[in-house]
Amino acid sequence: MQRRMILVALLSLVLLVPVAADAQKPIKVGMPMPLSGPPALFGDPATKGALMFVEELNAKGGVLGRKIELLVRDSKADANEAVRVARELILKDNVDFLVGTLTSAEGPAVSVVAKENKIVFIAPIPKTDQLTAADKLHPYVFRVAATTTMGGRSAAEIVAKWPVTRVATMSFDYAYGQDVTKAFVEHLKKVKPGVQIVDQQWPKLGEQDYNPFINAQMAKRPEAVFSSIWGGFFVTYSKQAKALGFFDAIKYNFIGVGEAATPETTKSMGADYPVGIWGNSYDAFYWGETSAHRDYVARLSKYLKDEYPSSWAIQGYIGMQFLTEAIRKANSTDSDKVAQALLGLAVETPMGKLTIREKDHQANRGQLYGKTVKDPQYPFAIMKPAVYVDPSPFMD
Amino acid sequence: MPDPSFVFAQSLSGLTAAMFLFLIASGLSLIFGVLRVLNFAHGTFYMLGAYSAYQIVQWLGPGPGRFWLAALGAALAVAALGGIVEHFLFRHLYDKEELYQLLFTYALVLILSDVAKIFWGTQQKSVSRPPELTGSFALFGATIPHYNLLILLLGPAIALAFWFVLQRTRAGRFIRAAALDRETLGALGVNVDRLYTVVFMLGSFLGGLGGALIAPMRATVPGMDTEVIVEAFVVVVIGGLGSFWGTFLGALIYGQVLSFGILLFPRFSIFAVFALMAAVLIVRPWGLLGRPLR
Repeated sequence: MQRRMILVALLSLVLLVPVAADAQKPIKVGMPMPLSGPPALFGDPATKGALMFVEELNAKGGVLGRKIELLVRDSKADANEAVRVARELILKDNVDFLVGTLTSAEGPAVSVVAKENKIVFIAPIPKTDQLTAADKLHPYVFRVAATTTMGGRSAAEIVAKWPVTRVATMSFDYAYGQDVTKAFVEHLKKVKPGVQIVDQQWPKLGEQDYNPFINAQMAKRPEAVFSSIWGGFFVTYSKQAKALGFFDAIKYNFIGVGEAATPETTKSMGADYPVGIWGNSYDAFYWGETSAHRDYVARLSKYLKDEYPSSWAIQGYIGMQFLTEAIRKANSTDSDKVAQALLGLAVETPMGKLTIREKDHQANRGQLYGKTVKDPQYPFAIMKPAVYVDPSPFMD
Repeated sequence: MPDPSFVFAQSLSGLTAAMFLFLIASGLSLIFGVLRVLNFAHGTFYMLGAYSAYQIVQWLGPGPGRFWLAALGAALAVAALGGIVEHFLFRHLYDKEELYQLLFTYALVLILSDVAKIFWGTQQKSVSRPPELTGSFALFGATIPHYNLLILLLGPAIALAFWFVLQRTRAGRFIRAAALDRETLGALGVNVDRLYTVVFMLGSFLGGLGGALIAPMRATVPGMDTEVIVEAFVVVVIGGLGSFWGTFLGALIYGQVLSFGILLFPRFSIFAVFALMAAVLIVRPWGLLGRPLR
C-alpha cells in the first residue's frame, strides 16, 4: 500500500513538473549565424556578444519574468542553409523570434522566411540596402547594422575633406562591394564636385593575389583610394599592397570601409599593418567615449577572457538589446505586438542611443572611423581619434 | 595604352603568381601522376602549412632566419601528416572507384579544416615577411618586393630539382615507372607501397611549403584551402594532369592571362582564365602537355 502511495506521489510530481516549468518557460530566440568558413571570424564573436547579453539578462530575472533561451545554428554563410536553419528553428524548435545572419545574401533570404511565418527578425550585420528597401520591407524585418549607403557616404564625407582630386576604388565584384562603392562615388561627387574617379578595380570575392590589381591601379596614379575589402581579405590585400609601396605612393590617403581598422585586424597584422590609413569598425575596446561603453568592454573582456575583446560582439549584443526592449515595451511575446513596439524604439546601447526608424525599420547605427596610428599603450595600431560617425544626416 | 614600365610590372606580378601556383600545383600533379588520385585535400595541406608556419614563428619568436626554419618545419610536419594519411587511410582506396577516392579526399578537407579551427580558431592569423626580405627594389620603373623575387626564383629552382630527381636518379626512375605500370614494378621486386607513401609525402611537402611560403603575403584564415585548390586545379587542367612541365606551363599561362586580363578587361579577367581552361578541355582534354588517360 505504502509503495503504491509513493508511486502515486511520484507520478503526480512528474505531472506537476511541466506545469510548474510552464510558468518559467523561456522565450526562445533563434540565431542563424555563420560559425564555419571565413565569415565565422565575425559570426562567432557576434554570437558570443548575444550570449553574454542573454546570460546577464537572465541573471537579472529575464524579461517579463521569463528567461531568454538563445538557440544558435550555423548558417554556413550560405543563403540556402540560412533559410533551412531558420525554418527548422521556427518549425521544430518553436522559436519566438529570430536575430541573426551575417552576409548580404543570408539576410534578405531569411527575411522572406520571417515574413511567411510572421516572426520578428532582427538583422545585426548584413549591410545590403536590399534588406530594408521599400519593395522588400515587411512588418517583421528590422536591421541594427549599418548599410552600404551609410558606409559609402560616411567614407565620402571623410575623403571629401582630403586635399585630393584623383580617387580610385578597390572592391570585390559582388553585391556588397558594388553597392558600397557606388554609394561612395555618388556621394563624393555630390559633396566634392571637382573629384575625378581615375580607376576602379574589381577583384573577385575572396581574391588571394592582389598584385596585378594594385599594379594596374598604381599606373593610373590616384591620390586617394577607397576600398571595401573586408576581414581576412583585407589582411592579404594590404600586406601585398604595402610590399609594393602602394600606401607610400598614395601618401596613406586610403580609407578601408570593410572594417579595416578593427582591433582584430590591426592586432593580427602587428608591424605589417599599413599604419596611417583610415579605417572603420563597429566597435573598438579602446573607444570608451561613454561610461556605458567602458562598462560593456570590461564585462565583455571578462566574458571572452580576452584583454582586447572583439569588435563584432557588439552587433549580437545590440540585436538582443533591441529585441528584449521591444518585448518589454509590448509587454508580450506576440510577434505583431513586438514588431509594433520596435517601430521608433530607442535603446541606450553601449555605442550610445540608437533608434529604429519607422519608415524603413533601419537603426541609425553608425560606425567608428579614424586614422590609424601607433600607440605605445598597445602592441598594435589603433584609430586615433576613433570618431563615431552618426549616419542620421545622410541615411536617405 | 599604359607605359612600358607598367606592362613589365604587370607581367612580373603574373609571373610571381605563376611560380607560387606552380609550387602548389606541382604537388597535386605529382600525386595524380603516380597515384592516379586527385587529391582535393591538397589545398588543406597548403592551409595547414600556413598555420604550422604561423605556429612555429610564434614559438620561436621574431629574429633573423626564424622564418625559414618555420617554413621548413611546417612543410615537414605537413609531409608527415601526408604520410600518415596515405599509409593508414588512402592505401585502402586505390582499388576502389574514383568516385570513392574523391569523396574520401573531400571528407578529408572537411575534417582537417575543422581540426584547424579547433587549434587556431576563426580569427585571421598573419605571418610577417622575414626581416631579411622586407625591402624592395626598382627595376625598369617597377617596384619588386624582395620576397616576391624569392618566390619568383624558387619556382624554377624547385622545377629543376624535380626534373633532376625524376630523370636522373634511381628513385626518380621508380617513380616514373610506378606512374606507368604499378604491377610490373611490384613484380620486379620494388616496394611499391612504400614508394607511394614517399610520393604522397613529397606532394604534401610541396603543398605545405607553398602554404608556409605564402603566409607572409596573405592572411592565414579558415577557407584558404578551398580558394587555392580551385586555382591549382585550373593550372593542372590547362597544363595536363600528371605532367610535370605541363604544370609549369599551365601556371605561366594562368599568371599572364590573369594579369593582362586585369589590365585589359578588369571585370572579365577571371572569365578569361576559365574560358582558356574550357578551350583546352575541348581541344585537348588531357591538357597541353599531358597524355591521354588509358
